[in-house]
Amino acid sequence: MTASQPVLRFRDIHKTYGRTEVLRGVDLAIQPGDFMVMYGSPAAGKSVLMRILMGLEKADSGSIQLRGEDVTNAPAADRSIGYVPQSFALYPHISVRDNIGYPLQLAGLSGPEAMPIIERSAEMLRITEHLDKRPDQLSGGQKQRVAIARGIAKQSDLYVLDDPLAGLDFKLREQLVEDLRTLKSETRATFLYTTSDIVEAMTLADTLAVLDRGAVVESGNPAGMYDAPANVRTMALVGFPPANFLLGSVSILNGQTVLETPLFESAVELTMPIDGQVVVGIRPEKVRVSSGAHKGEGFSLPARILLREDLGGEEIVYLQTGGQTLTSVDRHTLGHNDVSDVIVHIHPSDLALFDPRGGARVGRGSDRGQARHG
Amino acid sequence: MSEQKTWKQRGYYLLLWIVALIFFAPVFWIFLAAFKTAGDLISPEFKFFFTPTLDNIRNIFQTPNFWSYFGMSFILSIGAVLIALVVSFLAAYSFSRYKPTGTNFIMFLLLSVRMVPASAVVVPVFLMYSAVGALKTLPGMLLFYAMFCIPFSLWILKGFLDGVSLRFDETALVNGGSRMHVITKVVLPQVKPGLVAAAIFNLIFVWNEFLFNYILGGNGSTMIPVLLATGVKQGGMTDWSFIASLSFIYVLPPIIMIYIFQKYLLVGMTFGTVRGEV
Repeated sequence: MTASQPVLRFRDIHKTYGRTEVLRGVDLAIQPGDFMVMYGSPAAGKSVLMRILMGLEKADSGSIQLRGEDVTNAPAADRSIGYVPQSFALYPHISVRDNIGYPLQLAGLSGPEAMPIIERSAEMLRITEHLDKRPDQLSGGQKQRVAIARGIAKQSDLYVLDDPLAGLDFKLREQLVEDLRTLKSETRATFLYTTSDIVEAMTLADTLAVLDRGAVVESGNPAGMYDAPANVRTMALVGFPPANFLLGSVSILNGQTVLETPLFESAVELTMPIDGQVVVGIRPEKVRVSSGAHKGEGFSLPARILLREDLGGEEIVYLQTGGQTLTSVDRHTLGHNDVSDVIVHIHPSDLALFDPRGGARVGRGSDRGQARHG
Repeated sequence: MSEQKTWKQRGYYLLLWIVALIFFAPVFWIFLAAFKTAGDLISPEFKFFFTPTLDNIRNIFQTPNFWSYFGMSFILSIGAVLIALVVSFLAAYSFSRYKPTGTNFIMFLLLSVRMVPASAVVVPVFLMYSAVGALKTLPGMLLFYAMFCIPFSLWILKGFLDGVSLRFDETALVNGGSRMHVITKVVLPQVKPGLVAAAIFNLIFVWNEFLFNYILGGNGSTMIPVLLATGVKQGGMTDWSFIASLSFIYVLPPIIMIYIFQKYLLVGMTFGTVRGEV
C-alpha cells in the first residue's frame, strides 16, 4: 500500500435479503488516517456494509480492498480490524479487564504484554475503576465504553465502530462523542464510524459519507457537503432541521435560464443542462423571518406561523406561504411576541437546484429573482 | 377480607402438604422398611415405631454382584451422559447457528424415539444390536443410553444456545478466534446451566432404566434395577427387605443430586426457555 492508496475501498457492493435490496452498488474509499463517518437513516444498510467489511456476511457481488489487498472472500479473522459492534456483545462470564483484553489474548499476547494496552484503553474511555467488575454490574453507558475500549485495544491501523452510541441517552452520547474526539486526536489510525445521528456525524467526521437506500450518494468534507451538497439526498439528510424542498421548472426565456416555483421566479445558473422539472432546496437557516418590512435583497413572501419550537439559543419556525410549508431556523429575531403573520425572506443565491430523476445538483439561484406573492 | 384470604391461603398450603406427603408415602415406606426386620415388615399392622436394624443393608452389601452392578450403574449413567452432552452440545450449536433446512422437523424426529413406548422400541433395537453383535456388551449399552439421552439434551441445549447472542460468536471471529474457540471458550461457559440441567435429567433416566438394560445388557453391563427385579424372590417368596434396602441405597445418589441441583430441573422441563435464577 502506498501513501496515496486508500486503506479501504468498497467497489460496487451489492447485497439482497430475499426480495429486499439492501445495498445497491456501494463505492467508497477511505484514506489512511481519516476519520470517516458513514451517515444514513436506520435502515440505510450501514450495519450490513460493516458486517460485510468485517467478514461476517458475504456480499452478493462487488469487492473489498483492504490495505491494497482483495479481502472480499477472506475469513473475518484475517482482516485485522478493530471492531465495535452495534450491540455491546460483552462476554458476561468474564471481567471487564478480560473483555477489553480479549482481542489481545486471541492475538497471543501474554498477560504482562497485554496489561498496559488494556489499562491505556480503559484510561482513554474512563473506565479504569470498573476493570475488575463483571459486565452485568455496569450501566448502559459504561458497557458501551467497555465495548469501545475492547475495539480499540486491538492493535490495528483500522477501526470500525458500528453506530456505537445507538440507544444511549442524550447525555451519555454527548460524553462519549467527547471521548471519541479525544480518541481520534490521540491515535493515527483510520476510523470508519457509522451513525444515524447527523449531529454526531457532523461533530466527529473528517470525511462524511452519506449512505442512502443502499448506495453512497456523496462523500467528502462535512462542511462542504452541507454548504454545497452535490445530491438532493445529501441536502435532505445532512442538517437539522431538514432542508426545505420545492418543485419547480426551468425554462429558457429570452436567452436567460429561469426557474419558476409556486412561490417565486428566479434567474438560475445551471452547471448541467436541464430543461423541465427541478427540485429546489433551501436550508432552514436561509429562510429568514421578520415581523416587519423586507430587509436586504431577495424574495419577500407573506407567511403564517404554524408552530414555533424554542431550542433556547434559536427556534425552529414552521411556516405556511403560498400553499407551501417552509421551515426556518431563527435566532429569536421575532422575540417572544405572539405574532402569527410574518414576512419570509429568501435570497436567490441560497437556492440549490437538483435533477428530480437522479438527484444530482444541476445549478444554483443567481442574484436576481422576484416573488410571486407579496 | 385479608384474614379470609389468609385462611384461604392456609387451606391451599395444607392441601399442598397433604398431596406432597401422599406422593412421598411410597418412598417413606421404603425408607422405613429398609430398617425393619422381616417380621416387622410383613406384620399385618403397619408399624411406625420399631427397633431399627442395619442387617438388611449389610445383606445387600454381601449380595453377589451388588458392587459390580452398583458400579455399572455409575459407569453407564455418567459415561452415557458425558457422551450425550458432548454430541448434543455440538449438534445444538449447529442447529442454533447454521439453522439447516428443516431444523424443527429434524429436532422433532430426534425426540420421537422418546415418544414411543420403550417396550415398542426394544424389539427393533434388540434386532439391530443382535445383527451388529453389540448385545450384552458394555460399549453397546453405553452407546445405546447415550443415543437415548441425546434428543432430550439437544432440546435443552438448543434452547440455551438460542439465547446466547450470535454477536458473541462474531466478536470472537473478528478478533481472530477459530470456530472451535467460539464453541468452547465463548458459548460453552454461557450454557453451563443447560448442561447441568440436561445432565441431571439424563442421569436420572439412565440410573433408573430397567427394560433396555435387562434385554440388551449382559454380565458386564447390568445395573441395579435389573438386580432389583431379578433378585426379589427368595424361596418362592417376595423378599421385601431386599427390595426396600436395595432401593434405599440406590435412591440415595439421585436424591442427593436432585437436592443440590433442583433449581436446574425447571430449566430442563422447559427445554431452556424458562431460566429463573439459573
